[in-house]
Amino acid sequence: MNPSPVDTSGFGAYAGPVLRTESGGAFEFEIESRHLNGADRLHGGMMMALASIVLGQVAKETARARAPDAQAKPLSLNCDFVSAGERGDKVEGRAQVTRATRTVLFISGELRVGTRILMTATGVYAIKGQDAA
Amino acid sequence: MSDPLPSPVNVTPPEGWRISALHDPFEAYVGPLFERTDSGGARLFSFIADARHVDETGAVHEGMLMTFADAFLGGAANRAAGGDCVTLSMQASFLAEAHAGDLIECRTQVDRVTRAVVFVFGRFSVGGADVATATSLWKVLGAR
Repeated sequence: MNPSPVDTSGFGAYAGPVLRTESGGAFEFEIESRHLNGADRLHGGMMMALASIVLGQVAKETARARAPDAQAKPLSLNCDFVSAGERGDKVEGRAQVTRATRTVLFISGELRVGTRILMTATGVYAIKGQDAA
Repeated sequence: MSDPLPSPVNVTPPEGWRISALHDPFEAYVGPLFERTDSGGARLFSFIADARHVDETGAVHEGMLMTFADAFLGGAANRAAGGDCVTLSMQASFLAEAHAGDLIECRTQVDRVTRAVVFVFGRFSVGGADVATATSLWKVLGAR
């Protein structure tokens, strides 16, 4: 099984692709020219978009494990810009559930190039639709 | 300054708005983005959400809202600092959903400027109703 794309929504596909690694433990993204800012670094908006896709995917999967139709909707996302990314860099994303209550998910994650951290991020998500199942 | 970068999609600015001159490839890629100056002299920014900007439920993707925030809160930080700034941190709260076809407006407020750091707040609305807020910290490049 090869790495497969996640978040193939309008924005996820347009900004991405973001791939899930074979083992499923991490996400992959390669920085291309369209993702840059005017200083030839990974644009801060794209870096936050990537974090939102990685954390959002883990949130969605956690919600779906509750009920097939359940959704995870973002309430808050906090992103800290630790270092810059450059064209051609292969960015690895990881995220985990810090706590899951009946209605809210706390997710934390990070983006790295090799051992260097680009961004740390935390998100809070509302679980919707699980009661309808 | 080099010529503005073109966006891949043509969108006519709504009445009273002009196309924002963009120099960052990723901003041009998600654009066009618009701006205007209100009667009080404040600069406002906007974009019309389309199929490129939404998630699988049809709501505008939070990553797009944070890209829009980064572009224009950063512009406010640059103007306040009188030089280029880079993002240190940004927190966004998503108050309500926006959808394709919506004109999403952004109003920025600089809360504090120090020698090395700028604090910028942004409020995002559709038709006068808030959809998101963002608080951000910016590093002034070259400052010690």
